[in-house]
Amino acid sequence: MNRAFVPTAIALATAAFLGGCATQTTYVDPGSTRTITNVGELNVQDWNMASEAMVNSLISKHINSGALKGSGPDGRAVLAISRIVNSTSLQIDTDVLVKKIRVSLLGTGKVVADITAGLGGPEDPLAAEAKREQQFLGTQKVAPRPDYTLSGKIIENRTRQGNKSESTYIFQMALATRDGLAVWEEEKTITKQGKRSAVGW
Amino acid sequence: MNPSLVRVLATATLLAAIGTGCETVNTSEPAQPAFQRNMVSEKRVITDASLARRVQVQGINVSEGPGGFLKVQAEILNTTRSYQRFAYKWEWFDKDGNLVEGPASVAVTRQVEGKESLFLQGVAPNAAVRDFRLKLYENAR
Repeated sequence: MNRAFVPTAIALATAAFLGGCATQTTYVDPGSTRTITNVGELNVQDWNMASEAMVNSLISKHINSGALKGSGPDGRAVLAISRIVNSTSLQIDTDVLVKKIRVSLLGTGKVVADITAGLGGPEDPLAAEAKREQQFLGTQKVAPRPDYTLSGKIIENRTRQGNKSESTYIFQMALATRDGLAVWEEEKTITKQGKRSAVGW
Repeated sequence: MNPSLVRVLATATLLAAIGTGCETVNTSEPAQPAFQRNMVSEKRVITDASLARRVQVQGINVSEGPGGFLKVQAEILNTTRSYQRFAYKWEWFDKDGNLVEGPASVAVTRQVEGKESLFLQGVAPNAAVRDFRLKLYENAR
């Protein structure tokens, strides 16, 4: 056997062995359908679809219809986020949904978000402090109150038949005026089905 | 066994197997619709002929609300007799042809029964949007 063949073969075998052990990680577009989805969890695709449905509905039913009235800068509506209740068995951060909606609404040019008003305290404490200072110094006489508040709830429903399991996530959102009247409401239901493998790991 | 009987049984089994995967939709609507859609002439770029054969865009109509946001509706038809999955995404452009993106610019999965038609609706992310593009994807989960 050729003497050079042995080291080459060993090198190739080592490379193949190490290559086989390496995990293959790839980037995927989070807005695509290539992300991982499973039945028992809320995945990126679910958040995307829920926010897309909510934003589309809010724009077409309330903003595009000309019903939006605002007291903010340039006549834009001031929006504050109220409580988003997580009524699922999952530990989720509802900001995943709320932030997408807020960014989209801000992008419409018709809405501004008040980040100094919030149930658990201001989102931006420094901005809240600056606002209080302005009021104290008299440069801002009346603190602008939110024209609208956005609230919501996420509900989960699970069922199973044979080796097929199904999860349903219901996203409910409402937009209320200062008077407490809901002027927009929407519900988006996402249902996922999957088969449990015969062999559990 | 009689060869002709085997042939008949095999054909019946095959037809039954094909038939179980086909559940089509019957629809009914007024012969004279009360609405008139503002249909737009489209340009189609088809790279997935298989998807284009199964899930076809029948027409696209646009409208604009008092807020100035473009609203687009596309009618999709499942030309096959079986359940199909696909995904779609709207892309929005301003008057200069620049893409207007946002967190809501995502692919959305849909399912359509055999011979069923459905409408996909999209609304522009802001009033500066003047144009759109609809993308259809296969292999949606």
